[in-house]
Amino acid sequence: MHHEPTSRLGQVIDDIEETSIALCLGLMTLITFANVVARYVMNSNILWALELTVFLFAWLVLMGASYAVKKHIHIGVDVVLNAVSPGPRKILAILSVAACLAFSILLLIGSWNYWYPFITERAWLETEDIPMPGMFMFLADWFNEGERYEKVPRFIPYLALPLGMALLTFRFLQVGWQIITGKLDKIIASHEVEEEIEQVRAQAEDKREDL
Amino acid sequence: MDIVLLFAMVVGLMLIGVPIAVSLGLSSMIFLMMLSDASLASVAQTLFSAFQGHYTLLAIPFFILASVFMSTGGVAHRIIRFAIAVVGSFRGGLAMASVFACMMFAALSGSSPATVVAIGSIVIAGMVKVGYTKEFAAGVICNAGTLGILIPPSIVMVVYAAATDVSVGRMFLAGVIPGLMAGGLLMLAIYAFAVYKKLPAQPWAGWSEIFEAARDASWGLLLIVIILGGIYGGIFTPTEAAAVAAIYAFLIANFIYCDMGPFKEKGAGGAMILWRGLSIFWHKDTKKSLFEAGKLTIMLLFIIANALILKHVLTEERIPQMITEAMLSAGFGPIMFLVVVNILLLIGGQFMEPSGLLIIVAPLVFPIAITLGIDPIHLGIIMVVNMEIGMITPPVGLNLFVTAGVAGMSMLNVVRAAAPWLAIMFLFLIIVTYVPIVSTWLPTLMMGPEIITK
Repeated sequence: MHHEPTSRLGQVIDDIEETSIALCLGLMTLITFANVVARYVMNSNILWALELTVFLFAWLVLMGASYAVKKHIHIGVDVVLNAVSPGPRKILAILSVAACLAFSILLLIGSWNYWYPFITERAWLETEDIPMPGMFMFLADWFNEGERYEKVPRFIPYLALPLGMALLTFRFLQVGWQIITGKLDKIIASHEVEEEIEQVRAQAEDKREDL
Repeated sequence: MDIVLLFAMVVGLMLIGVPIAVSLGLSSMIFLMMLSDASLASVAQTLFSAFQGHYTLLAIPFFILASVFMSTGGVAHRIIRFAIAVVGSFRGGLAMASVFACMMFAALSGSSPATVVAIGSIVIAGMVKVGYTKEFAAGVICNAGTLGILIPPSIVMVVYAAATDVSVGRMFLAGVIPGLMAGGLLMLAIYAFAVYKKLPAQPWAGWSEIFEAARDASWGLLLIVIILGGIYGGIFTPTEAAAVAAIYAFLIANFIYCDMGPFKEKGAGGAMILWRGLSIFWHKDTKKSLFEAGKLTIMLLFIIANALILKHVLTEERIPQMITEAMLSAGFGPIMFLVVVNILLLIGGQFMEPSGLLIIVAPLVFPIAITLGIDPIHLGIIMVVNMEIGMITPPVGLNLFVTAGVAGMSMLNVVRAAAPWLAIMFLFLIIVTYVPIVSTWLPTLMMGPEIITK
């Protein structure tokens, strides 16, 4: 079940994705915790804590979905796939990749249509509470006719949608190619703890060898 | 019936091997495009608002993270040791201790498969060693592991609360008594079977072992006290409680249990100790746990977000109202209705991941339940217990797969092994369904009577 990337580049990209996932979740936890501490110790709330956490959450899942495709983490029902012989299985797998592509392309179009106004005619729309770091103020010149942003403009958090769906489409194409060339026979995992069970089995094997 | 077509599409896609999340999302989009003039942009917006508009769901990644920190190595061992010290000396004691250990682990983690892996990977081998059959051991663990979603904290309950706007705190409290009851019933049945079959007992280790094991396990078990105490004491919201629990579990795993992080290997102390203490923040074990939890969060929340698109479609098309009217005009009373809900969920639970199923079914049956005067919390517990049973019934019972993997048995053997204990879970389901006070007594006692607004 290990899908080690073959190339050096693949390894680097894996590292970047895995670190971002860890960092995203770590930040969410720390910010939420810090907010609790601030409330009880310093008697004040961190105003932007909740909103920032929510956006990190959205980025984690929307961007992470493509990583999950690459590593075959998305779960599905594989009783039928396991019951049929390799030929029909390949056809079913190709069909399901086609469905996945339809899904991600439709959503990519939708995401673009949704996001595009936020960077053009509604570029002045800001988030509720997250202050705008000064170093990104050049965005105001680019998109907001030079008018300074007090808060982070909305097109930044919402960017997760088109970006995530584009990546998702790319990963589905990749997985589709793997299936056509016969490197892979399905795109789903049957449950969430597949890896842990592999480990338990590996440990059991080790013990048997020790005896 | 368009609605039948929609669900046929979802099931059909799933059966050919499309990921559950994609099956839900794609069917909803096709349905929307065929029957209404809703734009794709609005679908994208719904997808994003799964995160933006549902603060409750934010508790899920934190609970997962707390559970990952707690599952690094030693906590399961400590809980099992304590469980054996307490009930091991009865006939069939090791099996009863396994159930007890599953109950305690369920209080640290919100997921059933995680409970089976953590406890099962240790106790199944242990039971076989002292003379139980492997089938017996696997059957017990497979069933007891389902308690993971009934005993708080529970991810499935968070999902139910998010889907129906009931209080997470109430749901958690409501799960306590049914959870203890289900565990108790399983242990009683094991005891009766053990006396009849003359199964072995462990030697009585004495009170000192109980106290020592309890002390050792207490750091972990304190987690549930923090979560429940924090929520009911009004100290923090459920989401904050989950984040605090994650931080607590992180500190315990690093500094007290030393199951992970820089103190796992004993080394020089002195001035370097502060530096080592600080290094937990960038230690590779920390990153690994965060990444594992992140991966699970992505998988689960992508399903939930897509189920929310489907939910959006259903409400848009006024399908819950249509079903309510159809059911009421057919003269369904509360009892008949609950039977229908049970059957619906038992069938659905065999094909789908519990959280996704709940998001879809809850809005369909919730308005009917309210009209019929069924308590929303009671309905929630019924649904959770149904999910539990769905996890141990073929063809797609999640716990069956996991147990088969952990015990190294074939699926068919696990199904057979779990079957006798399934009868107990059914009995339990009937009790929970028709005796509402089991679920509603504790939350009403602790938080006062509920105000139903819908």
